[in-house]
Amino acid sequence: MASTREERVDNALQQLLERLVPQYADEDEATADQRWDEANEVARELIDRDPEPSVAEDVNHAADLIKRRLIRESSSPEKATVFSNLYSRLLAQPVLGQKWAILYFLHQLGDGGHANGHGRTITNAQEASLEDEPLDDDGEEVDGVAQRQYDVDTPAFNEAFSRNGLPRLPRSDGLDNPKPPPARDRPTAGRPKQTQREETPGTEEQDQRSNGRMEPSEAALLRDLPFTLQGLSSTNLPFLDKSSLKLPPALPIPLISLLYTLAEPSLLYRSLSEFVESSEGGLVGQSLRSAIGLELRSYLGLVATLEGQIRRALAQNDGLSHGGLGKAGVTLKRCVIWTRDATLGLRLMSMLVESAKGKKGGELISLVHSFATSHGDPFVHTFAERLLASITRPFYNMLRAWIYDGELEDPYLEFFVYENTEYEDSGATSVWEHKYMLKESMIPTIITEDFANRVFLIGKSLNFIRYGCGDSAWVESYSKDASRELKYGDTATLSTSIDEAYKTVMARLISLLETKFALFSHLHALKKYLLLGQGDFIFLLMESLASNLDRPANSQYRHTLTAQLEHAIRNSNAQYDSADVLRRLDARMLELSHGEIGWDVFTLEYRVDSPLDVIVTPWASKQYLKVFNFLWRVKRVEFALSTTWRRLQTGARGVLGAVSDKLGRDWKSARGGLAEMVHFVDQLQYYILFEVIEAGWEGLQKDIRKPDATLDTLILAHTSYLRAITRKGLLGGGGGIDFTAQLHELLKLMLAYRDAVDSLYSYSVAEFTRRQEMAAKIETRTKAGRWGITEADDDAAPSPLFPSSSKGRPRTDEGLADSPIPPLLPMDGGAEGERNMLEQLRQRLKSLETDFRARVNILLGDLAYQPDVDMRFLGVVMNFNDVYQPVKRRRQHKGGEKDKAAVTGRKEEKAKADEARA
Amino acid sequence: MPAADDSKRKAARETIDILHEISTLLNTHLDRQSLSYCVSLIENGVNPEALAKVIQELRAQNERYEVERAGAAA
Repeated sequence: MASTREERVDNALQQLLERLVPQYADEDEATADQRWDEANEVARELIDRDPEPSVAEDVNHAADLIKRRLIRESSSPEKATVFSNLYSRLLAQPVLGQKWAILYFLHQLGDGGHANGHGRTITNAQEASLEDEPLDDDGEEVDGVAQRQYDVDTPAFNEAFSRNGLPRLPRSDGLDNPKPPPARDRPTAGRPKQTQREETPGTEEQDQRSNGRMEPSEAALLRDLPFTLQGLSSTNLPFLDKSSLKLPPALPIPLISLLYTLAEPSLLYRSLSEFVESSEGGLVGQSLRSAIGLELRSYLGLVATLEGQIRRALAQNDGLSHGGLGKAGVTLKRCVIWTRDATLGLRLMSMLVESAKGKKGGELISLVHSFATSHGDPFVHTFAERLLASITRPFYNMLRAWIYDGELEDPYLEFFVYENTEYEDSGATSVWEHKYMLKESMIPTIITEDFANRVFLIGKSLNFIRYGCGDSAWVESYSKDASRELKYGDTATLSTSIDEAYKTVMARLISLLETKFALFSHLHALKKYLLLGQGDFIFLLMESLASNLDRPANSQYRHTLTAQLEHAIRNSNAQYDSADVLRRLDARMLELSHGEIGWDVFTLEYRVDSPLDVIVTPWASKQYLKVFNFLWRVKRVEFALSTTWRRLQTGARGVLGAVSDKLGRDWKSARGGLAEMVHFVDQLQYYILFEVIEAGWEGLQKDIRKPDATLDTLILAHTSYLRAITRKGLLGGGGGIDFTAQLHELLKLMLAYRDAVDSLYSYSVAEFTRRQEMAAKIETRTKAGRWGITEADDDAAPSPLFPSSSKGRPRTDEGLADSPIPPLLPMDGGAEGERNMLEQLRQRLKSLETDFRARVNILLGDLAYQPDVDMRFLGVVMNFNDVYQPVKRRRQHKGGEKDKAAVTGRKEEKAKADEARA
Repeated sequence: MPAADDSKRKAARETIDILHEISTLLNTHLDRQSLSYCVSLIENGVNPEALAKVIQELRAQNERYEVERAGAAA
């Protein structure tokens, strides 16, 4: 029968074709035949290809379809009623066997005819020709339905994933006429691939129950869904590349939108799982990865439940009528709702991952923390908190190691303390200052700035104790006792433990410095020796060295200096100092240049080694040396003047009294000048030693003794102590006025004066001796019965200072040759020379005195205008009886006019100061 | 039996009429003859969807040719 059927089919087909393919009058045979053949081909192909219809054979169903369409198409229901009549009559007919098929056929054709009315062309560029689907009937030309690829990349993605669904539908598959939904499900067993559109054109879902005649069916999509959600390609929803998912084309729009929504978590999951696999970044990055991995795992759990549900539902629904799947509870829409929370979480995570690229350590933590604190949504907040708890674990580990051990365990440079590897290894100073630095960008926002500073200090101190002070034993025991686990969220215990740690460590450091390293005693020793605090020692030293140091610098030997130093130490109270201190004391010579004498190159030195040189830095040592040098000079001048004074006073009773007729006036003025200078030097010394140094020392002690002293404060206190000394001690450059130079000039002047006085003294002694001899000669002569004094004597009495070649007069040498002053007198002999010499001496003395006075005036003028009270005080004290008139220095010329106003002002000031002091 | 035949024929005619009315309602642009051919095809087992497609395709083809001819003539 098949053949006859075939024949019949053929026949009928031929007939149909004849009717369908129109004959054109003016067409030639060939083309007509061609067309005929084409038509034939097409028809046969179609018929042969699909022997089976694609929907179930239900006449009622077909009738329903038609009816619904009729209802939709025409506003009035009369067509539908007519149809119903016809339908019932048809059913009554016994003739047809395939009623449903015919109805279905008519139904399809009705659509097609409708669509065809718009002149659609079938030029499908991509597929074999008859595959597409005339869905478009809003008047627009459709270029065939291309394989649509939904590249779900970010901007369109985000737009699509606004919470309210797609804001606009993609254009190309706009189907304006909703067709009555074939609410029928079919098992998808023999389904061809989705590239072939077999479904009856124009069907799509209408209502919420989204099943039925579409390709691929919802069941297929649901089956693929768990795979998709895990980021795996599946039959219907393959992933094209890392960031795009291909949705099957020609699905109805609501379905497409649902699939969009479901595609979002899939793509997010894919990119996140890639991130989790990657392994750049530091420890914090790794913990971030693991935290996200955990979250993803819970997401997968969700997917697994979903899959279980779907599978159960599908298993139940195989073969059921339409709507079964929906009734079982698993539809695409439901899946969308179930995955909504997860999608939010995934979205958040991917946003995190994006912004976390390239960050590490503290910055990363700050980023996550900002989510936790500055986002209003509680979901985001809790999520970020969860993440934070796990991310901060490596951070807290590092923190713990740093706080309790002083060790930095930071392989990826993520901590906010970093080790500075380029510091020069010059002792403990730079270890303290430069070995570790704070990097503020890496401070996470979970800890405050103050906290970070304290942590930094604690770690630094621990490290210092361990390495600088060599006290690792204590550090070990401390870390064993106090170390405890730190974690996020525990801010109260964290801050208390930090506080405790801080206090303990600082106290330990200070006590170490004081006891083990005797910081305090060293500072005291520095003051005693370098700042001339130990008066007797200094005096002895000076005495023994004085003659030595008068000689030129290149004849000084270190061993002599050291020997004298030892001698001085042994004979003064300094011997009772501890051996450690005395060991560090040393006498040294500075670099010498030509023409210097020993006084200029001598210096004491106090060696300080680590860890104390954190406080007594190299700069500090230099300052000490500077001050020592200055003080030593002053002391030397004082010493010189006082020895001269002593000689004068003892000599006044004897020698000088005898020559007071000739030299009395000179001596008076000399004494006056000497007294002035002595006064000056005394005041200066007093001021420096007591007002400046002692006061500074008090301040330093107080700072050291403070209960919350840290190493930094100590360093600061010491530095300011030294600075104050140098400034107030007239050594610093205070406001451009160079006191140092003035003072040096003054000191030099004083030394010159002293030499002059010395030569005057020697002159006097010589005179005295001469007179003595004269007296003796007279005596002997008188005894011999001759004249006491003859004229020849007078003439022949040369100056006692210039031995004539004939008379071998004893010549007193009073160090005249040693005077550094340019030679007083030309060496021409005779009384003339002698008188000249005296005159010159006198002149010299006088000039020195006036010079001195002028300079002192200038100095006082400068001092009066210093901002510092103590320096003004010095000025006042020096001039307490107003013997000087201080000069305010003008720019144009030095030693300018006298400032009466200043003088009167200072008179009042002096009066007040005197009252205050009294 | 001729009566049976007749009745059959009558029934068939009626059916065709009904179907024709339905197809008119549905706007399929099929005339009676074509419709009867289609019916016989379907009764012989042809897939109705395929058949519908065939018809649509042929119609489209025809239109194309029409357009061509119109273009050629113009």
